[in-house]
Amino acid sequence: MQKVSKLTIFLFLLPALLIFSLYMVAPIPLSAFYSFFRWKGFGERVFVGLSNWVELIGDGIFHKALFNNFKLVFLSLFGQLPIALALAILLAKKTRITDILKTIYFVPLLMSSVAVATLWSNIYDPNFGLLNMFLQTIGFENLFIDYLGNPKLALYSVIVAINWRYIPFYMILFLAAIKNIPDELYEASRVDGASKWENFRYITLPLLRPTIINASVLSLVGSLKFFDIVYVLTGGGPNNASELMATYMYKNAFNSLRMGYGSTIALALFIIAFTFSIIFMKVTKKGAK
Amino acid sequence: MKKSLSLVVTVSMFLVILLSVSAIAQEEIVLWDITTEAESELPVIQDAIARFEADNPEYTIRHVPTSNDDYKTKLQVAMGANNEPDIFMSWGGGPLKEYVDAGKVMDMTKALKQDDWIERFVPAGLEIARFDGNYYAVPITGMRAVLMFYRTDIFEEVGVEIPETYEDFKDVIVQLKDAGYIPLSLANKNRWTGSMYYMYLVDRIGGKEAFLNAANRNGGSFASEAFVRAGEVIQELVDLGAFPPGVNGLDEDQGQSRQLLYADRAAMYLMGDWAYGLIKNENPAMLENFSFFRFPVFEDGKGDPSNLVGSPGGNMYSVAKSSEHQEAAIEFLKYLSDETAAKQLVDLGNLAPFRGVEEYLDDPFMIDIYNALNNANYVQLYYDQYLPPQIAQAHLDTIQGLFGKTMTPEEAAQMVEEEAQKYFNEQ
Amino acid sequence: MSKTAKIIVILLAGIWLLITLYPFIFMLQTSMKTNMEYFTTSVWAFPENISLDNYLTAMNSGFIRFYLNSLFVTITSLVIIIISASMAAYMIAKIDFKLSNSVFSFFLAGMMIPIHITLIPVYRMTQTMGLYDKLTGLIGPYVAFSLPISIFILTGFIAEIPRELEEAAYIDGANIFQIFTKIIFPLIKPAVSTVAIYNLVLLWNEFIYALVLISNPDKWNLTLGLWNFQGQYGTNVPMVMTGVMLSVLPLLLFYIFLQEKVIKGMTAGAVKG
Repeated sequence: MQKVSKLTIFLFLLPALLIFSLYMVAPIPLSAFYSFFRWKGFGERVFVGLSNWVELIGDGIFHKALFNNFKLVFLSLFGQLPIALALAILLAKKTRITDILKTIYFVPLLMSSVAVATLWSNIYDPNFGLLNMFLQTIGFENLFIDYLGNPKLALYSVIVAINWRYIPFYMILFLAAIKNIPDELYEASRVDGASKWENFRYITLPLLRPTIINASVLSLVGSLKFFDIVYVLTGGGPNNASELMATYMYKNAFNSLRMGYGSTIALALFIIAFTFSIIFMKVTKKGAK
Repeated sequence: MKKSLSLVVTVSMFLVILLSVSAIAQEEIVLWDITTEAESELPVIQDAIARFEADNPEYTIRHVPTSNDDYKTKLQVAMGANNEPDIFMSWGGGPLKEYVDAGKVMDMTKALKQDDWIERFVPAGLEIARFDGNYYAVPITGMRAVLMFYRTDIFEEVGVEIPETYEDFKDVIVQLKDAGYIPLSLANKNRWTGSMYYMYLVDRIGGKEAFLNAANRNGGSFASEAFVRAGEVIQELVDLGAFPPGVNGLDEDQGQSRQLLYADRAAMYLMGDWAYGLIKNENPAMLENFSFFRFPVFEDGKGDPSNLVGSPGGNMYSVAKSSEHQEAAIEFLKYLSDETAAKQLVDLGNLAPFRGVEEYLDDPFMIDIYNALNNANYVQLYYDQYLPPQIAQAHLDTIQGLFGKTMTPEEAAQMVEEEAQKYFNEQ
Repeated sequence: MSKTAKIIVILLAGIWLLITLYPFIFMLQTSMKTNMEYFTTSVWAFPENISLDNYLTAMNSGFIRFYLNSLFVTITSLVIIIISASMAAYMIAKIDFKLSNSVFSFFLAGMMIPIHITLIPVYRMTQTMGLYDKLTGLIGPYVAFSLPISIFILTGFIAEIPRELEEAAYIDGANIFQIFTKIIFPLIKPAVSTVAIYNLVLLWNEFIYALVLISNPDKWNLTLGLWNFQGQYGTNVPMVMTGVMLSVLPLLLFYIFLQEKVIKGMTAGAVKG
C-alpha cells in the first residue's frame, strides 16, 4: 500500500477546504451568533438571549412553512422520481425517436429559475394564461381555475412547476444508470422465461438502488432549502399559503429588516435539513445490509 | 547642463501635474437608485450627471441602478457591511428612519438652509425625510397620487355615473358586474396594490387621525374600528364580485391588472398616477376613453373627501454619513433638482416635487392630477413607506388574507397591532 | 410487449412530450408576436408575421455582454471546481487517513446550507478582498457552493476504481501527484463531465450572489440581465418571452450538439456513489 505523508493529504484537500470553509462554513457560526440578537442587518445589535428561538417555536407561519417544505419533499420524492424513472425506462431502448425525445425531455432543466417562473406565470395567468385558455378551448367554458391565487392550490401549482423543471435531471441520472446494466443479465433472464415486469422488478430496480438513494438525498435536501421558483412565482403567498422556510427567512432578513430572526430561521433550516438527511442515509444504508 | 536640468524639471513638473490631475479625476461618487432602463426618469439622471461632471471635472459619478424589489436587499446588505454608496435613494418614511437611526445618513439640514436650497422643494416632499426636526433626504421624482381610474366608454355603455359615496360605488359595481364586466381590476400578488384600497378605506372611515394615531402610538391602535371596518368593506366588495377572479395570484409587475383593462374586461383600476404613463406607453389608444375620479366617501365617515393616498415625493436621495465626498454629493443633488431637471421630469409626465413645476404642465391629464394633489388637504403616505419595515410587512401580509377571505377583518387588524406593539416595545 | 402496454407507453411518451415541448412552442410563437397581437389574438394562434424584431431589440439591450460575463464566470469557476473537487475526492476515496470520514461529512453538510444566510458574510468578505463589483468576486462563492455535490459525485466514482491500477504505477516509481494526474484523472473524466454539466446549468443561471456582489450593469450576468429586461418590458409579454428564449438558447444549443457526450458522461458518472 502506498504511503502518503500527512502534508500531501493536507495539500490535496487544501484548495477545496479553504474555499468551502471561507464561503460556506464560516457563515454558519456567524448565523448562530446573530440568532441571539435583535439586528436590522446594519447598525446596532441588541442581545436578546433566546427570545428569537422562543419566537420561532411559537411562530405559526414558520410551522406552516415547515409543513409546506415537507409537502414539497414528499411530492418531489414521489412525484419527480417515479416519473423520471418511468421516462428513463421509456428512453432506455435506443432508437431515433428516443434520441429526439431525450433532447426535448431534457430542456426544462436548462432554464434558469427566473425563466421557469416567468414562463409558468404566463401559463397559470387565470385570465389570459395557457392552461385556462386550454380548458376553455376543450369546452370547459365556465371552469375557471385560480392556480396561484387560491391558497389551497397555490403550493401545488408551484410544485408542478418545480417538478417540471427537475424531472429531467433525475431522468438522465436514471437513464445513465439503466444503460450501465449489462445486457447479459437481461438475456440470461429471458432464457429463463422472465416477463418484462419480472426483469424490471428483479434486475433493473435492485441495480438502480444506489442511484435511487442518491437521487432521493438530492431531492430531499433540495426540497428542504428550496427558494427561487417559489419566490418569483408567488412570493410565498397568498397569505403565506406557499411559504417555505427559505422564503420566510428571506422575507424576515431582508424585507422586515429582522436579520437576527432571519438568521434563526436559517439555522433551524440547516439543522432540520441536516438531521433528516443523516437519518435518511442511515436508514437506507441499513436497508442495504 | 542647465538646459537639461530645466528639461528635467519641466518634465517632472508636467508629470506631477499630470499625476495630480489623474488623481483628481479618479475621485468617484457612487450613486445607487432604482432608475434602471425600465424607468422613464433615467435620461434626467444621466443628463444631470453629465452636466455635473462637465462643471466639476475632478469628479466622476458612477450611477448604479437596480430594479425595485432587489434594490432594497442590495442596499441593506451594503449597509450591513458598512459600505453604503455616497448617494443612495430611498422612499423616505419608516425605512429611511431605520438608516438614520443606525447613523448611516448625513444630516442635510445645514446644506438645505444654505443659499435657500430648501425653497426649491415642495415642503410636503421634504417632510417625509424629516426626523427630529432635521432633513435627511431630498425628493427628486414625482409627487404621486393614487386615483380611481376608469374606462369612460364602459361607464357610458352600462349607463353609470361617477360614484360620490360608497353606496353609489356599490351600485356601480353591481351594475357593471351585471353587464358582464369585472368592476375593479386588481393584481394582488404584490400586496401593496390591495393595500391601496385598505389605506383609502381607513382614511375615509376614520379620517387621517385613525392611521396617524396608530402609527405614532398616540393612543391609537391598528385594531381600532376604522381598520376593522376597512377590512369588512373589502370583504363586502369581494362578496359582490368586484375584483377579478384569481386576484391574489395576479402580478402587477407583469401588468396582469392592466391587461384586463386592455382586453375590455375590467372597468376601474385603483392605482398610482404612474399608471397613466405606463398606459400611454403600452396602449395609448385606450387613453381616449380613460379618466379618473376620487375615491368615494362614507356618509358616516370622518375622512376629508379631498384626502388622497399617495406620496408628496417619489424617489428621495440621501448622502451617506460615511461618504468622503459629501460636499460634492450635495452639489450634484442641486443639479438633479434644478430647473433643467424639473422641466425634463415634467416632460416625461412626472410631477417633480419642486416649486413652480405647474408652469411646465401642458398635458391636461397631468394638470388634473396636479390639481387633485394640490387641492388635497392631506396626502396619506403609503403605509409601507410610512411604517417601520417590520410593521409594514405585517400589514402587507394581512392584505391577501383579507382579499382571499382567509382572515377575518378582526384577525387582520389584530395581527398588525400585535406586530406594532412588539416593535415599539423593543425600541 | 402486449398491445395495451405499448399503447400506455406511447401515451405516456406523448403526454410528456406535450408537457415539455408545448411551453417552448408557446414561448417561441409568443416571442414573435407584437404586444397588441398577443392581447387581441388567441394564445394558440401563430404570429401574423414571422419577425425577429423582438430578438433584435433584445440583443441590442446588452444580451451579448451578459453572455460573455456569464461565460467567463462559469468557465473559470468550473475549472477551479473540477481541480479542487477531484483532488479532495481522491484523498477521501483512496487514501486512508484518520479524518477521512469526517472530511467527507463536512463537505456533505454543506449541501444543507441555505445560501441566503451566507449573503451578508460573503458580501463583507468580498468587500474586504477588494473583489466587490468584479466578476472574479463571484468565483469564490460559486466554487464553494458547488463543491459539496461535486465531491459527493467524484468520491463515489473514484472509490470504484480498482486499486491494482494505482499500485502498479506505484511499483513503477510514480509518486502520488503523478498517479493523480496520469492515472486517476483520466479515468474519472466521465464523472468530471457529470460534475461539469450539473454545475454549468446551476452557475449559468445563478442569480442571488450576482445580485448582491455585482452592481455595474456592464458586469451583469445573464440572469441579472434577464431580470432587468423583464422589469423593463413589464406587460410586453412577447418581449419578455424573447428574453427568456435568449437566456435558454446557448445552453440549448450546447446540449443539442453535445447530447451524446452529455449522456455518456452522466452514464458513467451517475451510477456510482
